[in-house]
Amino acid sequence: MAAKPGSAPTTYSPSLTQKTRPPIFKGNDLDWVRPDGRGFHQCRPAFFRTGAVNSASGSAYAEFGNTKVIVSVFGPRESKKAMMYSDIGRLNCNVSYTTFATPVRGQGSDHKEFSSMLHKALEGAIMLETFPKTTVDVFALVLESGGSDLPVVISCASLALADAGIMMYDLVAAVSVSCLGKNLVIDPILEEESYQDGSLMLTCMPSRYEVTQLIFTGEWSTPDINEAMQLCLDACGKLGKVMRSCLKEATSASQE
Amino acid sequence: MVGLSVGEKHFIQGGIAQDLRSDGRKRLTYRPIYVETGVIPQAHGSARIRLGATDVIASVKAELGKPSALQPDKGKIAIYVDCSPTAAPMFEGRGGEELSTELSVALQRCLLGGKSGAGSGIDPSSLVIVEGKVCWDLYIDGLVISSDGNLLDALGAAIKAALSNTGIPKVNVASETSGDEQPEVNISDEEFLQFDTSGIPVIVTLTKVGRHYIVDATSEEESQINSAISISINRKGHICGLTKRGGAGLDPSIILDMISVAKHVSEQLINKLDSEIAAAEANEEES
Repeated sequence: MAAKPGSAPTTYSPSLTQKTRPPIFKGNDLDWVRPDGRGFHQCRPAFFRTGAVNSASGSAYAEFGNTKVIVSVFGPRESKKAMMYSDIGRLNCNVSYTTFATPVRGQGSDHKEFSSMLHKALEGAIMLETFPKTTVDVFALVLESGGSDLPVVISCASLALADAGIMMYDLVAAVSVSCLGKNLVIDPILEEESYQDGSLMLTCMPSRYEVTQLIFTGEWSTPDINEAMQLCLDACGKLGKVMRSCLKEATSASQE
Repeated sequence: MVGLSVGEKHFIQGGIAQDLRSDGRKRLTYRPIYVETGVIPQAHGSARIRLGATDVIASVKAELGKPSALQPDKGKIAIYVDCSPTAAPMFEGRGGEELSTELSVALQRCLLGGKSGAGSGIDPSSLVIVEGKVCWDLYIDGLVISSDGNLLDALGAAIKAALSNTGIPKVNVASETSGDEQPEVNISDEEFLQFDTSGIPVIVTLTKVGRHYIVDATSEEESQINSAISISINRKGHICGLTKRGGAGLDPSIILDMISVAKHVSEQLINKLDSEIAAAEANEEES
């Protein structure tokens, strides 16, 4: 099968040149266009569907542009015998990437910390006292990683929990903002994320106006922080409304 | 960790409300910090920090490596934290792995900045030797020996001290090589390059108990947290990283308030830490 290097290939062989793509913006540009044509403060259109997995207590599928995530919720189930008695419920989260999710195969294993971040984002919203001695398992699978993965996982997971009937204080909506040069760009795609100077991920409960998880990376000055947080909170409010309408559609469809 | 009775919990919360904590400190006061540098001779740089009963060691090793294809003009930096079972028996084997990953990720976020390298405390372009071919790989390892709360702040301070103690050997590149050949490098044993650590941020963890914020919580106080925020602030007053710990929800205005309190506290902490590190290095040179 192997052709000698330098001889003309008789069958298809991949190109050996390494393609370098030019960066999407030059240092001081103030009005460059995003690769997918969105405005700086415009999120990708959100698509949610609950009931994606039949065998789970609850499940949801979310698609934001090229980021596709499916989340299943199992429970409340009996806790493992090895765990101690606890009079409030337990939440167990796991986020994994498929091997074909990233452009380079197998890169998803870089994100081992997403499971604990998902746990922290959700535990403030769930009423753990309503299922003592049991565990609720949340399993998230990223089918395609197109940027802004963790916020999509969190929003999808809270929809799946709602679909499973777990009692919560409020839905959890999550949004991330990237700082590229001097501009703040909301809901970045994978390409924008690789050039970012800083990023902010915010998860909140829109109706209660409470932030459950907040992560800043990179150097930020205080006015930028204020502006970015305000952007995120507005976007989360709108995302919360989209999530609610998805849940309502699902229940009205099942009633027909 | 020993559980706290209801009476003890009320005592801690009441004390914090009155600005008098169990060990006599005020809400925004740190425990005394002891810094020793050069504790690990085989490493290129090391430091040990004691913050009350919390004891951590940070070591810096540099090895020659190849820069990544995506960023050929930058060296690579990796930060890992290991929680030793001497700190708590539950850290044996895989038990401490979750805490270690959380601390490693938080430190990487605070000290290494965004993906493009901007806002990083350590300038990765200073680590490159021959662009695209040879660079320094910096491995920063943190070890938790004894844990009494506030591990993240102690580790951040230890890394800052270890980096100011670090001497990267000077490298002489052999004559120009063309194409894809690996250039020959001569690592000098005599001359060392020091890092400029004035730009490295410190990490301040603010814990919210009731309606007040405390800094540098002991493990007793940490068991009481509703929520905490760890903020990494540099000398210029810019935020280099922020992580919210704990699950409870927080109002956004409270978060902004905590950020401004943290900035105020960080100024004193940076000055104190810099003077302690300078004193420790002077001690080390004398002995």
